[in-house]
Amino acid sequence: MENLAKNLLEELNCDTVFTIPVFGGIPIMESMVVTWGIMLFLILISIILVRDLRTQNISKRQIILETVIGGVYNFFDDLLGKEGRRYIPYLTTVALYLALSNLMGLFGIKPPTKDLNITIALAVMSIVLIEYSGIQAKGTKKWLKSFAEPVAVVAPINVLEIFIKPLSLCMRLFGNILGGFVVMELIKQIVPVILPIPFSFYFDIFDGLIQAYVFVFLTSLFIKEAIE
Amino acid sequence: MTTLIAIGAGIAVLTGIGAGVGIGIATSKAVEAIARQPEAEGKISKALLLGCALAEATAIYGFVIALLIILFLK
Repeated sequence: MENLAKNLLEELNCDTVFTIPVFGGIPIMESMVVTWGIMLFLILISIILVRDLRTQNISKRQIILETVIGGVYNFFDDLLGKEGRRYIPYLTTVALYLALSNLMGLFGIKPPTKDLNITIALAVMSIVLIEYSGIQAKGTKKWLKSFAEPVAVVAPINVLEIFIKPLSLCMRLFGNILGGFVVMELIKQIVPVILPIPFSFYFDIFDGLIQAYVFVFLTSLFIKEAIE
Repeated sequence: MTTLIAIGAGIAVLTGIGAGVGIGIATSKAVEAIARQPEAEGKISKALLLGCALAEATAIYGFVIALLIILFLK
């Protein structure tokens, strides 16, 4: 039992892989390195998939790619409307990154979203994007005035929401991935042979993909609210 | 001291009750709606999935707090 607790605590901490010798040493965490790996993978896939795009006589790969991108644009058009089209590339990138990083548990690598720093960074980027979209769609003065809608009394609540929205986004993602990770580690240490498989289907695959979807969906919902 | 920590963590996880009941009621209403109008199943499923993920978040907050209590209190 002691061993179990100790092993679990070890897994929960993120180790520093190496230190960049700049400004007195910036420690690079393991989650950062996995993120770089995911970035490399996504960039390579993007480069490979868009080679030789043609207008006539298109290859099967191009048809599939266009169908997928068309589907994604339709989905986001329902959510964001026509003016929100400029945010779709960022949202798709975040969705792909989250889907891949949540699935890392399948390969035995610690998912980078298990690290609170990464989820906080994603949530901060989301809130910056939301406020930027509000300012861009309405102009600065109208955006400032929109804090007092619908009644002037709710203005402090609206200001508070600027902090609560990213907090809930990051905690939801972090808690789900951490919870799944802890349960999978416990199962793997007790019964490492067959039992992890069905649980892994739920925690790693299903839960991971749903959390990625919910994160992106909520961000786009808030953007739509800000653009209105 | 460890008893208090254990009790605190146990109470923190009780937030799961709310999520369980809430999601159960939401799913029952969704199933009723699908039974009443089977063509709308796509939209109902999407709304249900989103609602469940959002409601689950409160249970997850309780879990995270319990974990923090266990790990950071000596």
